[in-house]
Amino acid sequence: MAAAGEEVLMKVALKIWRYDSATGDRALKEYEIEAPEWATLLDCLDIVKDKHDGSLAYRKSCRMMICGSCGMRMDGAAVLACKTRMYEIAQSGHVPVVSAMGNLPIRKDLVVDMDPFWAKFNAMKPWLQPGYERPEDGREYRISQERMNVIHKEALCINCGCCVSECNAMESDPEFLGPQALAKGMRFVGDPRDGATIERLEQYNSEHGIWDCTRCFFCNERCPKGVDPRDAIAKLGAESVAQGIDRDMGAKHAKWFVKSAETTGWLRETELVPKTQGVVEALKQTKFALNLAKHGKVPPPFPPHVARDVNEARNLRKLVREQDRQGALGHVQGEHALAKLDHGHAGESLEEIYDRPGAAPRPWLPEIKEEPSA
Amino acid sequence: MARVIAKHDVLVVGAGCAGMRAAIEAFDAGADVAMISKIHPTRSHSGAAEGGINAALGNASEDSPEIHAYDTVKGSDYLGDQDGIEILCDEAPADVYQLENWGAVFSRTEDGRIAQRPFGAAGAPRTAYAADITGHVLVQVLWEQVCKRDIPTYEEYFAWQLVENDGRCQGVVCWDLMDGGLKTIGAKTVILATGGAGRLYTGTTNAYACTGDGMAMALRAGLPLKDMEMMQFHPTTLAPTGVLITEGCRGEGAYLLNKDGERFLKRYAPNTMELASRDVISRAEQMEIDAGRGVDGNVLLDLRHLGAERIIERLPGSRELSMTFLGVDPIYDPIPVRPGAHYHMGGVATDVWGQTELTGLYAAGECACVSVHGANRLGGNALMETITFGKRSGAHAAEWALSHTTVEVPDSVERDAERELNALLDRKDGERPWAIRDELASTMHENFGVFRREHQMEEQGTIVAGLQQRYERALVEDKGEVFNSDLTGTIELGFLLDLAECMVVAGIERRESRGAHARPDDYPVRDDENFMKHTMVHWVDGAPKLSWEPVRMTKWQPQERKY
Repeated sequence: MAAAGEEVLMKVALKIWRYDSATGDRALKEYEIEAPEWATLLDCLDIVKDKHDGSLAYRKSCRMMICGSCGMRMDGAAVLACKTRMYEIAQSGHVPVVSAMGNLPIRKDLVVDMDPFWAKFNAMKPWLQPGYERPEDGREYRISQERMNVIHKEALCINCGCCVSECNAMESDPEFLGPQALAKGMRFVGDPRDGATIERLEQYNSEHGIWDCTRCFFCNERCPKGVDPRDAIAKLGAESVAQGIDRDMGAKHAKWFVKSAETTGWLRETELVPKTQGVVEALKQTKFALNLAKHGKVPPPFPPHVARDVNEARNLRKLVREQDRQGALGHVQGEHALAKLDHGHAGESLEEIYDRPGAAPRPWLPEIKEEPSA
Repeated sequence: MARVIAKHDVLVVGAGCAGMRAAIEAFDAGADVAMISKIHPTRSHSGAAEGGINAALGNASEDSPEIHAYDTVKGSDYLGDQDGIEILCDEAPADVYQLENWGAVFSRTEDGRIAQRPFGAAGAPRTAYAADITGHVLVQVLWEQVCKRDIPTYEEYFAWQLVENDGRCQGVVCWDLMDGGLKTIGAKTVILATGGAGRLYTGTTNAYACTGDGMAMALRAGLPLKDMEMMQFHPTTLAPTGVLITEGCRGEGAYLLNKDGERFLKRYAPNTMELASRDVISRAEQMEIDAGRGVDGNVLLDLRHLGAERIIERLPGSRELSMTFLGVDPIYDPIPVRPGAHYHMGGVATDVWGQTELTGLYAAGECACVSVHGANRLGGNALMETITFGKRSGAHAAEWALSHTTVEVPDSVERDAERELNALLDRKDGERPWAIRDELASTMHENFGVFRREHQMEEQGTIVAGLQQRYERALVEDKGEVFNSDLTGTIELGFLLDLAECMVVAGIERRESRGAHARPDDYPVRDDENFMKHTMVHWVDGAPKLSWEPVRMTKWQPQERKY
């Protein structure tokens, strides 16, 4: 690959799902273009629009991964077009298919209607609700960096919609608040300046809330900024339980998992249903349960037994308690996001870094002999 | 036929930091306020500001608004209007505390206060920051406050023309991007907050949206643009497209090296080194590159000695950008950087309340020129300006609107706009606009860049005139109604061409070197006797016409500027 700046051109082929909501026309069109080797998917779309078809529609603005305009799908996975370099794809001969994001109505080509997305954002009451003491000196709230780090990842969110596009839970329940709105919710629940934690948690624990998440982790996987929305949802769950907001089946389910694991070291599924859904609901499902048992899908509850390594589970639980990792604060921030950036950094010393083969020259200061000019 | 779809007391055009801050202030003053934006507010380019926002909070060391003001005056190469600068620096601390109280996720000091880092040409560590995503954090908090107030936004409305009637600005004619069609919105006052025009250049830190719409609309409405020759080149942008690497890198201690590893700034700014002002460093870099001491047209931004931990904690965004676009991990290798067009000090001339010459029309943020930046803006002062002057123009516009009652948009305005639009859309053959756009950007870079030479500027004038002629035949290929960005992109190009003409005229006539305007061959030094004044460009009979206006001074006399 040539150094950036040299205009060495490469051939890039793309297939783009075109769509016109005015006519309902839909077609997969292929384009072959010449692009600089440094081109991103966004650069390639620009070339298609300039030189091949001026009617191609997509959003763009900053082209530096911060405005969140250019969320779309490439080969079925949500990406930011401006972050997606095309060199390797073009060299491999692969012809990627570009389409609009999922879970949102398409208006034209790669442009989706973001209104449903913002409606969920707004449902979170996404503003700080002062409830504790306001700073008396008229200055800033005093908060440690450590405390601020709790919402570091959530604050990175650029509202691009990639997580929503990929959300499996939202596909089956379009009302589900979804990963980006809930990450925004965590941004406030985790902020010591916010005084509406309980109201917020109550809301997120209601129907279409945090417990509807299927934990498929696609949002974490596809978020271009390392926000890790699924982690935010987990933190909201932990904080809900820590605050005693646990009436939702999901919360009861999670609590029973822990209880079951720390008492007998295995998941007692026959008890899981009544503990989660209540005895009456559980009885209604007796026939279903017997069918499962008949096909060997549930281990028999009798005779009761305790897993051989139960102490491992108990010690783990003890450790979590000791470290006070029961609510949102207990979740260590940043590992996932930073790991994505950590391309093999191994803690070398500066000398080692300076001495690497092919390293840039060491910095040095010139001696000044004459009067400097600016 | 365009029609007036709504009327408001205050209509804000553009919804970045300045626009949102103006709308919030107008709302809180009791006005019926709405915003128009061609992109969703959180997509605004304010969000790409990385390093921070300047206010004399004194959290890192002793500081005062007065020192901040002096640094700003000196940084402006004495072209800044000192009344505006004093207001900015006096009001900055309270404005920053308010942002924090609203929930801005600032980085913190050991004792839990807002953290501040050193920035170029600043006498104290004054730049409050949120890692290296400060703009993003401020855009988010302002959008949150807009949501809280439920301020209506005409989202993906492209503002095209100002409505002038009865000697007042009374609304805006827009193209509705999502659904198509011209829509006119009436208003007692209009605040332009449309940002800069970096798309005039090939290598720019600016977003695709930064096409100087507000400046050009004001120009066409007969208003003067001030100091348009003053385009700042940021010293650390990535080849080839100009993606920004924050000044915060140097604030955290990064070096600038030439190909031999020499910290060459010792020869240009021996006292402040990498923390000299941006114009000084951009020129130094360009001289190193021109003298053959660059690396493929770049110099090297060396962060290696900062160590992995500090880079990951304080500068994660810069690392991500460098790794994504260049494949360079700054923990191991210096980042190749070069000067790139970054910020327009010039813009729509306003007073310290954002008022323009046209009653009812205001401007704030980068599209305005108070001028608090003069010939060279200090890093961290742009975000501060958007907040303080956004607030002030919102307050003034609301007060004016609440004491006046009528809004009238004459039918002729809508008819004219419709006719103009149809002429553009009905054109069956012509030239696709991209070649004109690319040629404008590359020639501006070549002929109106870090260094300016008379013959190049003259040549650029001829080139732009030629491009204007070609633009008369620009062909919009998309004739559809839904998300027709082909149409809006073509209109944007028209805006840029007008602005380029203004810049060239002002640049040729400023026969001195001051701040961002450097003429090494013919006028290498500042000439306070003849040029301590602002260029003002009006659009008269289809061409730019230059006049001058004095700098407003309060207490600082011009001195020799050394870093």
